[in-house]
Amino acid sequence: MTPVLEIDALDIFAPDPGGPRQLVFGSTLSIGKGEAVGLVGESGSGKTLTVRAVAGLLPDGFTTRGMIRIDGEDIADLSPRALRDLRAHRLGMIFQTPRAHLNPLRTIGDFMTEALVHVADVRQQDAERRARELLDEVGITDPGRRMRQHPAELSGGLLQRVMIAAALAMDPEILLADEITTALDVTTQEEVMAVIADLRRHRELSLLFITHDLALAGAVCDRVNVMQHGRIVETLAAATMRRDAKDEYTKILMSAALDEAPPIAAAADVVQPILRIEDLHKTYRVRGADGRREELVAVDGVSIQLAPGGSLGIVGESGSGKSTTARILLGLERADAGTLSVDGHDWSRPARGGRERRRRAKIAQMVFQDPYQSLDRRQTVGQCLAEAIRVHRPKDSRDAVTARVLELMGQVRLDEALLGTRPRALSGGQRQRVAIARALAADPVLLVLDEAVSALDVTTQVEILTLLDAIRRETGVALLMITHDLTVIRRLCDQVVVMRQGRIEERGTAADILDAPQAEYTRLLLDSIPREGWQPRRRRLGRTQSLPTVTRSTIIPE
Amino acid sequence: MSVAQIAGGTTPAVARRAAKRDWLVLTALVVFGLVVIIAIIGPWIAPYDPDQLYAGPINGASSLVHPFGTDDLGRDILSRVLVGAGASVFAPIVVVVLSTLLGVAVAVTGAWFGGWVSGGIARIIDVIFAIPGLVIAVLAVAVFGKGLAAPIVALSIAYIPIVARLSQTAASRELGKPYMAALRVQGVSSLAICFRHLVPALIPIVAAQMAIGFGYAMLDLAAISFLGLGQQPPAPDWGSMIANGQAGILAGAPEQSVFPAIFVVVTVLAVGALGGRVTVWAEEKER
Repeated sequence: MTPVLEIDALDIFAPDPGGPRQLVFGSTLSIGKGEAVGLVGESGSGKTLTVRAVAGLLPDGFTTRGMIRIDGEDIADLSPRALRDLRAHRLGMIFQTPRAHLNPLRTIGDFMTEALVHVADVRQQDAERRARELLDEVGITDPGRRMRQHPAELSGGLLQRVMIAAALAMDPEILLADEITTALDVTTQEEVMAVIADLRRHRELSLLFITHDLALAGAVCDRVNVMQHGRIVETLAAATMRRDAKDEYTKILMSAALDEAPPIAAAADVVQPILRIEDLHKTYRVRGADGRREELVAVDGVSIQLAPGGSLGIVGESGSGKSTTARILLGLERADAGTLSVDGHDWSRPARGGRERRRRAKIAQMVFQDPYQSLDRRQTVGQCLAEAIRVHRPKDSRDAVTARVLELMGQVRLDEALLGTRPRALSGGQRQRVAIARALAADPVLLVLDEAVSALDVTTQVEILTLLDAIRRETGVALLMITHDLTVIRRLCDQVVVMRQGRIEERGTAADILDAPQAEYTRLLLDSIPREGWQPRRRRLGRTQSLPTVTRSTIIPE
Repeated sequence: MSVAQIAGGTTPAVARRAAKRDWLVLTALVVFGLVVIIAIIGPWIAPYDPDQLYAGPINGASSLVHPFGTDDLGRDILSRVLVGAGASVFAPIVVVVLSTLLGVAVAVTGAWFGGWVSGGIARIIDVIFAIPGLVIAVLAVAVFGKGLAAPIVALSIAYIPIVARLSQTAASRELGKPYMAALRVQGVSSLAICFRHLVPALIPIVAAQMAIGFGYAMLDLAAISFLGLGQQPPAPDWGSMIANGQAGILAGAPEQSVFPAIFVVVTVLAVGALGGRVTVWAEEKER
């Protein structure tokens, strides 16, 4: 069987004032008809550059050496016109962030028909009919209505399926999928992967699947290539990869994805909880699909307690109200009803005035999801930490502040040489360490982690979770961990609350919830995690409704 | 050999572009520096008294005695350009600085408090927007009397809405970013957030706006002097010189308009290039 796509000894060079810098070294892989091949590695490993070279989307000035053959034709031998034709008709590509690839001012229908009308010269009516068929094929109900909607009205999972449908418009033979589920919830990830699996069966599509999640690649691909520092270090058959893996790095990735450290022993029962939330409610007023005002219930009667030095995980999909709960706790949102007390103080209302805000900042701190966006891009690491320290000790001498900055850097295991760097020069893990150090500057008794590791690579995730665990043991800070990822919970939390549609579905110790879940929803969340022998299945839970961050609790009758 | 040429050859396009941009900015800086020096020492290096009538022929062409020629009253145009530089260069600078300070203050206040404060400010801005700058200038003259102060105050007020609109949008967007929430959670005071984080974030957009505003201010001040509300004749400034030269252009003696116009164009271009560089520099610091 001749491979549909063949990459042979591909080198990729980035432009650099000191001469071209090599980023990918002799990357070699081939994909047969109907085969799915995974390319797995951390960010910066060169996996995205490799697919971009195939799709002809390398940034300006990048050069390649080696061979890329599509259907046996070396793309270097083709004329630019033939090459463009080949890419338009044989290759389909899907990206990580569908929202960034869609013009927010145009409807889904415009987007779907544009390529058909302008590239394939199809008449408008035919293009619209074809677009509806494609949307239907990727499992979108009522495609006619969706075609009239704008990207902002659709959820991330739905948008990603629109992108898949658009990639299928030209009947490609090869689908290049670059981290297509990284920005999605586990359950949505499962749905998208189920769509891809169906398509492969029906269309004999070849798939090049790029991801940093080895378990996911193993579950959906026939073969998996592991990439590190621009080199493919190992190629494994997906079914037997757990046994056959020889390379040290593959084993690290595997353990990062699978290893489930034993939960920390639960703290002894304490009478006075540090955090007590009772019957919290929050409703947003938004404009509905028909232009009228609608009420969205984000948090609906949530009660939570957390012991000093304890660690509680709040799990749920986007729209479950978990982040809103945290934002209310820190005074970034105002609750409609309910009481909230921290360390014996009533925090039901957001702080009034700077002094009250500073007093609360000394007790509770927060680490945000995206460390790049939660740090001021203009500040160096040193300035950022010094500012956080000065808030609470305005009269300290410069030397005392510097000493404290260094102490914090040590606490989060950051090299002192990084003091003068700005966030853009740091890796994702380093940025999150800075954000954690900043949160620790006040010596808080409660640390809220809002999806603090979801934007990071698996290996970095493990590093940060280990660090948080160590900090918790060293300082005795209580952790409130908000996440959609149940594996994260197992590493760090002793108590878990599962939230859905603003309500608490289930609560208990981490071991109980993860090993013997009672609620159906918890089981669904656990089933969605890719693992050995996992098959993505399509489910419908009404999650695909159009609201991105807040979800109506009335969507599903309880 | 320019920096751009040295940088040519094997180095990538990005580096070449950067070098070229710096070369351009260097030129702009030198040009603007020269213009400012002229504006300061103009009266002392002018070869003739700028107001002396019949220093040469009426509508005289360029010559060795009068390099820029003479105007319709026989005054030396070079001397008038040099002496007029002061009013022509510094008045727009004052206008731009004043309107930017006030506009950004208004914008930050509106974006910070939001709600009815923001709405009220927006309405006031709309009202100012609706009144033409020239009308405000006439009012200002009634208050301050004739002279340069009136048009400067009038234009500063007239430009506030433009600066405020632009920077309020930018400020609101910046305030919505996660790092602003992070700063509040840390307990950083509102003033510190404003001055250490919010205002620096506005620099790129405000710098670009200032550069554009300088050009407009220069032209608007000229229009005001043309109406007789600004710099009072016979005191020269570039705008009124261009305006007064209109008749000369038709009569085949364009010198009176052309030479000050060249100075206006060169100055505005230099300031535009500098503003662009400040924007790029501030953005580079951000990324």
